[in-house]
Amino acid sequence: MGTLIAIGAGIAVLTGIGAGIGIGIATGKATEAIARQPEAQGKINQSLILGCALAEATAIYGFVVALIIILFLG
Amino acid sequence: MGDLSAELMKELNCDVVFKIPIFGGIPIYESIVVSWIIIAAILVAALLLTRNLKVENPGKGQLLLESIVTWAYNLILNLLGEKGKRYVPYLLTVLLYLAISNLMGLIGFKPPTKDLTVTAGLAIMSIILIEYAGIREKGPKGWAKSFAQPVAIITPLNILEIIIRPLSLCMRLFGNMLGGFVVMELIKQIFPALLPILPSFYFDIFDGLLQAYVFVFLTSMFIKEAIDD
Repeated sequence: MGTLIAIGAGIAVLTGIGAGIGIGIATGKATEAIARQPEAQGKINQSLILGCALAEATAIYGFVVALIIILFLG
Repeated sequence: MGDLSAELMKELNCDVVFKIPIFGGIPIYESIVVSWIIIAAILVAALLLTRNLKVENPGKGQLLLESIVTWAYNLILNLLGEKGKRYVPYLLTVLLYLAISNLMGLIGFKPPTKDLTVTAGLAIMSIILIEYAGIREKGPKGWAKSFAQPVAIITPLNILEIIIRPLSLCMRLFGNMLGGFVVMELIKQIFPALLPILPSFYFDIFDGLLQAYVFVFLTSMFIKEAIDD
């Protein structure tokens, strides 16, 4: 039972992959955009933070689910 | 595994400090007490810093204070736009409270934001403010109509958003604080000395301040969306 719970929690945390890829792409594009138009840095940073916050939410949900699995089943 | 799980459960739990002996005892949790300490600290700091303010010949302290306040005010005002001027003080207050409470872990208190009820309360206040701003700007009729924009078919999604937005705000703050805390605990178990200093800068200081900013940033984005179109 303990192993299964650990595997389940591990699978739930895999949601982090999506967030990682998403934030990576977003940051890469933002860097490109700043290199092209350094004067627009403020606005680019603003939308970057918004995008990262939204992309990160999925990872956080995965983490919360993993935690719930460990705490309430383990 | 069982050991870690018990440890996590203990940290997740918020202890009852004392009970107010009316209505059959209202329990007061640790997070509330720490919040009171933060409120008292902010109040004392505000009273001390705003003493002896002058219009003519301001001192060095007053100039520093004015520049910080103006910077923070403009930061939020740029997000909200000119129409949302009246919501800036509330958002600044939330920003200050969140920033201080996320950093509370550094001096040995349990951060109030690690308690789900505190973040849930803040998120509910945010969604009430967002909808209030929408109703105030467009009138009840316009507000109700705004659910059917841009096309009528997404009305259910727009209504669902009233629940999803505060849920995601609350879970983001709570999950980030708890996640950082759990990772720090794990690192401390493996390398008890020296190494935890470096990730502590990221998880305790940088992430705490960033999440405080993100919470206020998203709330002001939603308010702007509610009052703009």
